[in-house]
Amino acid sequence: MKPFLINPMAQNATTAEFGARIAARLDESAQELPDHVAQRLCRARMQALSHGRQLRRQVAPVLATSGGLRWIKQDHFGFWGRASSVLPLIALLIGLMSIGILQEQQRAHEIAEVDTELLTSDLPPVAYTDPGFAQYLKAGGQD
Amino acid sequence: MATEKELDAFLKGVEKRAFKRSYYHVRNEESALDIVQDSMMKLAEHYGHKPVDELPMLFQRILTNSTLDWFRRQKTKNALFSHLSDFETQDEGGDFDILESLLLSTNPEQNESAQDHAQRAQTLRAIESEIQDLPARQREAFLMRYWEELDVAETASAMGCSQGSVKTHCSRAVAALAKALRIRGICL
Repeated sequence: MKPFLINPMAQNATTAEFGARIAARLDESAQELPDHVAQRLCRARMQALSHGRQLRRQVAPVLATSGGLRWIKQDHFGFWGRASSVLPLIALLIGLMSIGILQEQQRAHEIAEVDTELLTSDLPPVAYTDPGFAQYLKAGGQD
Repeated sequence: MATEKELDAFLKGVEKRAFKRSYYHVRNEESALDIVQDSMMKLAEHYGHKPVDELPMLFQRILTNSTLDWFRRQKTKNALFSHLSDFETQDEGGDFDILESLLLSTNPEQNESAQDHAQRAQTLRAIESEIQDLPARQREAFLMRYWEELDVAETASAMGCSQGSVKTHCSRAVAALAKALRIRGICL
């Protein structure tokens, strides 16, 4: 290896070259680790791989049993099967709409009853706008 | 998605450098091994499904975070149980010195004389010592950039800082190393 002139004010290329030369020396030292360290690193690697393998095994059955991917990727029931799975949703929508219509009709019926009472009463409806009559009603109709 | 074989090959390729990097930081063999093992487990557990080309940066980030976690734990432990200052570690490994082990290596190049081997080991020891003496951020940036060969953007992402900071750290690290090695009379 040719001598390398070290200059603190080196350009980027020189800096990179210096870095690379240091890295090459560090590589040398990394390859000469004591046996027990190399063995421990190997064991750590095996343990990590085994751990990853176990995790993948645990995840795979969960996906299979929950059917998460199966429902997306496979079609077991055809068109009618899929249509029947939508039926409960349609029934729910129809039910909600029916309840809404019935409540609306009931409210209209109640208003009509009040109107009928007012119109068929001996008392003219204008009387209810009179403050004195309103006071009389609040007092319970006793004067 | 990386296969188990690819993940194995990747880890095999980086494990020694990862150990040395951790060792430069924590200066304790057992702790460095624990950090590397922890990082490997996390990579396999959380990122085993990632493509192979994403693994290097992910692993560097995990290793950096695991090292920081170790320092945090040490800091808490020291605060609770001893009077050691922050980031100072006790040598739990007894009298083993990994730098000395370089001199005792049993695999010198076949055509290398004993004198050459001793000189080479001395140079390596000097370089490693100077790298250990760098400020932590400079050392981290330098090692990721030049040893792990991450680009500036990847290094910045792994270190959680700006690209400008990475360039500054690297530049200062190179200048400091160059000066220190020149004083020792080492020419690369």
